[in-house]
Amino acid sequence: MKLLVYAMTKLRGKNTVNIIEAKNVSVIFDSYGDVIKAVDQVDFVLPKGQTIGVVGESGSGKSTFARVLSGLQLPTSGSVTFMGKPIQSGRNTYEGALRKEVQMVFQDPYGSLNPRMRIVKAIAEAIRQHQGLDKKASRVAALDLLESMGISNLDAQKFPSKLSGGQRQRASVARALSAQPSVLIADEPTSAIDQSAQAQLLGLFNDLIKKGLSIVLVSHDLGVIRYLSDYVYVMKDGIFVESGKSEEIFNNPKEDYTKKLISSIPGRSIK
Amino acid sequence: MSGNHLLEIKNLKIDVRVTKKRRLSIVDTASLIIEPGQIIGLIGESGSGKTMLCRSLVGTLGRRGAYIASGQLKFDGIDLISAKQSVWNEIRGKRIGYVPQSALAGPNPVMTIGAQLAEAILQDENFPKADLEKRSLELLNIVQIRRPETVLKQYQHELSGGMKQRVMIACAIAQQPQLIVADEPTTGLDVTVQAEIMELLKQIRKDFNTSIILVSHDLPLINEICDDTVVMHAGTTVEKIPSKSIKASKHPYTLALYNSRIDLVVPKGQLKTINGQPPSVGSWPEGCRFSERCDFVKDKCRVKQDLPLITIGTSHETSCLRYDEIAR
Ligand SMILES: Nc1ncnc2c1ncn2[C@@H]1O[C@H](COP(=O)(O)OP(=O)(O)OP(=O)(O)O)[C@@H](O)[C@H]1O
Ligand SMILES: Nc1ncnc2c1ncn2[C@@H]1O[C@H](COP(=O)(O)OP(=O)(O)OP(=O)(O)O)[C@@H](O)[C@H]1O
Ligand code: SF4
Ligand SMILES: [Mg+2]
Ligand SMILES: [Mg+2]
Repeated sequence: MKLLVYAMTKLRGKNTVNIIEAKNVSVIFDSYGDVIKAVDQVDFVLPKGQTIGVVGESGSGKSTFARVLSGLQLPTSGSVTFMGKPIQSGRNTYEGALRKEVQMVFQDPYGSLNPRMRIVKAIAEAIRQHQGLDKKASRVAALDLLESMGISNLDAQKFPSKLSGGQRQRASVARALSAQPSVLIADEPTSAIDQSAQAQLLGLFNDLIKKGLSIVLVSHDLGVIRYLSDYVYVMKDGIFVESGKSEEIFNNPKEDYTKKLISSIPGRSIK
Repeated sequence: MSGNHLLEIKNLKIDVRVTKKRRLSIVDTASLIIEPGQIIGLIGESGSGKTMLCRSLVGTLGRRGAYIASGQLKFDGIDLISAKQSVWNEIRGKRIGYVPQSALAGPNPVMTIGAQLAEAILQDENFPKADLEKRSLELLNIVQIRRPETVLKQYQHELSGGMKQRVMIACAIAQQPQLIVADEPTTGLDVTVQAEIMELLKQIRKDFNTSIILVSHDLPLINEICDDTVVMHAGTTVEKIPSKSIKASKHPYTLALYNSRIDLVVPKGQLKTINGQPPSVGSWPEGCRFSERCDFVKDKCRVKQDLPLITIGTSHETSCLRYDEIAR
């Protein structure tokens, strides 16, 4: 199985540039005498301009792997490269100009928003810092970005604690996008928003993909994965048990685990 | 008022203090009745007031700078609006269990999961301490957490998103409450676990005649497990409808919400959204608050007063003035 995945990655690597590659990555936690192999010797590629979906049951290691790709978690072994160069030097990752290139949306949106800063200010500051706009222009850009996700100018003035769950989640996506990254690693970016807001956000992702954004999308919402992903990796107990083109995974899953994952979508069409 | 509803919310209005003088309504004219053993789905766009409504049921609005400005709120005959702290202590966590939306940030970061479960279990002063660990493991097993013995010793940052969520559910059901208020309990859970949790909730309902309010954006899920669905828009309840007949909705907002579902489009295809943006709190239009986004709007929809829910069938109420004219 592993060999097959590896062969496929090689094959796909031929005609596209791989913006991120992970080789033989493991993350092992030693937790109260229990050794947890959260990620277990996995290989992964993100071709430029594509969206890669990562799915799998709860606790299978998706978030841990996503954090490794974004440089926030150092792997116990193995390596990650960005445009062919290792992201890690010593205990640091994505140094200097690379810093802004890969941005992550966290599963818990509280984590990434400064509780003492109004949303618009936080986003505007990130825009100013990364895009070099002046104060006024970056504020306008921040309001525009938030509005394109369905956050009104009024709500944009609020502190994170005064927003609803879905508003906060979109604010954290906006924060990640404000750096104009070339790669977005999004861990459950749509879990807390309604269908209409979700459609709006996915539309925005679609536009950004057309402009060259590459995405790693972790989600339990297989509808979202199917809509956006070119290629899908299926994770179980820290390894990728199956990967393939999105339509292949959905129409013709090989592994029982994948079949089960897909078939238990509750009443996909409404009765 | 008939006495046997488990929960009765009538024309509830929730305000927040913006400054010393200024108040803002975030929920206004919300109404909802729940009978014992009923599962109600609460849906509506992000920011429509679902979480605030839930918080009013456990008396934690104050933590968000909000309070009940007017209306009625009764649980099993007890007036929750005037309830004192001593009354809340007997209700919150014991008779009404709550799974907060921010369950991801939910478990206390400086307590072990074991300590938190113990707190939830020992709300019952008569619980024998010797059985604490046994009951904790039992609860973790109910919510299907792997390696429960290890998890008891762990802190929240060591758990995956779905594990945290399940811990919060375990805490909420520890006392076998009469009402469980679950705010997005399955976001971030894979469908298998999701289905199991839903089975669990149904089982609890069956065994203890527990009522459940389920807030979710997952419309197929709501459709599958809830008896009735209540729809919120801009701080108000606009429709109540048996979940099975949701396609026969008589409110343009509910229909628009259903039609923006992603499973209706091909990958990367054109997605449908509801017209415009949800009106922000503080800038709701008069009359029907959906009027600026509605394809069926007529002058009469822009009246001066709020639109009440009208009963139009068994368990079916809508606030749309043109309910008998709209077709899908
Ligand atoms: N800091 C840590 N210390 C110990 N164990 C950890 C730590 N972080 C994660 N784990 C464990 O690693 C495993 C994988 O966790 P991870 O968060 O990557 O899962 P996931 O696939 O994202 O799950 P979910 O879908 O529930 O979010 C889990 O068993 C978790 O308990
Ligand atoms: N303290 C506050 N001050 C001002 N506005 C607030 C405050 N708390 C909440 N709000 C606003 O009240 C509205 C309702 O919030 P609520 O959290 O109930 O929404 P929700 O329906 O649960 O949304 P979601 O689906 O995104 O969780 C939101 O527009 C939010 O911005
Ligand atoms: S009352 Fe009028 S504006 Fe409101 S939903 Fe009905 S038709 Fe549309
Ligand atoms: Mg995760
Ligand atoms: Mg909410």
